[in-house]
Amino acid sequence: MSVSNNQALTQLNTQASTKVSDSLLLPQVATATIELIINKALALNNNKLVSFNAINQKTLTLKLAELTFPLSFTVNSTSSATAIIVRTHVESSDCTINTSINTLKKIKANQSLTLLIKQDELDVHGDIKLAQQFANIAQSLAIDWQSELARHLGDVPTHKLLQFGNKITKSISAAGKQIEADIGEYLVHEKRLVVTTSQIENFNQQTRDLASKVDSLSVRIDRLCSNIAEKSAKS
Amino acid sequence: MSSTDQNSQASDLSTSPKISADADASADKQNTTHFGYKTIEKDDKISMVAGVFHSVAKQYDVMNDLMSFGIHRLWKRFTIDASGVRPGNKVLDLAGGTGDLTAKFSQLVGREGKVILADINSSMLNVGRDKLRDKGLVQNIEYVQANAEYLPFEENTFDIVTIAFGLRNVTDKDKALRSIYSVLKPGGRLLVLEFSKPEHELLNKAYDFYSFNILPKMGELVAKDGESYQYLAESIRMHPDQETLKTMMENAGFEQTTFKNLTGGVVALHKGYKF
Repeated sequence: MSVSNNQALTQLNTQASTKVSDSLLLPQVATATIELIINKALALNNNKLVSFNAINQKTLTLKLAELTFPLSFTVNSTSSATAIIVRTHVESSDCTINTSINTLKKIKANQSLTLLIKQDELDVHGDIKLAQQFANIAQSLAIDWQSELARHLGDVPTHKLLQFGNKITKSISAAGKQIEADIGEYLVHEKRLVVTTSQIENFNQQTRDLASKVDSLSVRIDRLCSNIAEKSAKS
Repeated sequence: MSSTDQNSQASDLSTSPKISADADASADKQNTTHFGYKTIEKDDKISMVAGVFHSVAKQYDVMNDLMSFGIHRLWKRFTIDASGVRPGNKVLDLAGGTGDLTAKFSQLVGREGKVILADINSSMLNVGRDKLRDKGLVQNIEYVQANAEYLPFEENTFDIVTIAFGLRNVTDKDKALRSIYSVLKPGGRLLVLEFSKPEHELLNKAYDFYSFNILPKMGELVAKDGESYQYLAESIRMHPDQETLKTMMENAGFEQTTFKNLTGGVVALHKGYKF
């Protein structure tokens, strides 16, 4: 009963958040931003061997667990330019992937799609080759951020900025690794030693039982002592 | 309606008139129509609307961004999302103006598809054509100067017809809807993106204040034409509300007609199918 109530509440919450995000046109804000970033990255790509011909006019749809709306990417490649159009709704998609942002990070880290499907982290409908081609293209883009930034800021400020950026990134990365190691240590070793609530409750119950037994034993001993005292007085 | 009446209506924001199906029918019978709050001869409307758009064509995109704070791009994006356009589709972007929808449709229908950018106003069409050519969009776009009431296309030609912020300027909307219905293929769909009636009274009042006090001044400042933007505000108020337009589409033959309010009903997207 309570499970079904929770499900109904979750469904209501999802519907309400979808309605709010729709009325504020948040999906359109998201797709416009993503489209702008992707197409800017494509424009800055230095790897001229990247070819979109095989996936021209194909649509890949991502349904992320974290988002209430899907993201569909359609490639439009002409002789003069290539653009990716991002939409929140398409009637037919060549490949649809149900997944999460975490799994996307794993794809980026070169983990095989097949392995992720086997682990139930990816659910693919349609042409899986298309998903692989999109992933390959994303990985083969080569953008020289330093040169691009230098065009706007100048060489020396860009160098200093990147130096500072690298330092910060290293610090954050080191802190992240330390936190990860601490959590790992805690989970593997310390968590086993930590007394759980049920164990404490069990211990308390045993202590209470023992105390009660000691009390009754004490009463019995007192009674025996008084009996002995009475008998010795009579004799 | 006397000119004094028109002026008093224009100045009294709380009683800004909203067209009803009856009022429209009565205007039809008298061979008159609306130009903002003015009642004019039907034959005069085309030239008067043309005058407005010839005047604002060059500043049209800048003014759209300023007036809507850029939100018109999201409304148009929503329309593209709702269109269900596919590669190979034939799309008519009616009253397409400076080609915002055409640009996206052109990329989505691909080489096998086609997009016709149609507008009654040659100045708007020229600005649209220049803009799209500058973007390198030339392969699958055609430009046609056409009146929405008499579309110069064969029956059952298009998979999708869109009319964004154009229907309210059409003299005979019912005739235009019938004309659109005729050129759509069976299974094709019409999407009408147009200003509409805000859902909440408070928003309605704020919107009225903005439309009648700030918009014309903005038009005067940027496009050097406050009158055209006064017309814009008035024409929005005279446009049929969500339910009325839905009924008009159904009367023209469209089925499964629905509408979706955007930004609290300031704009609505109507969608209907021809089966």
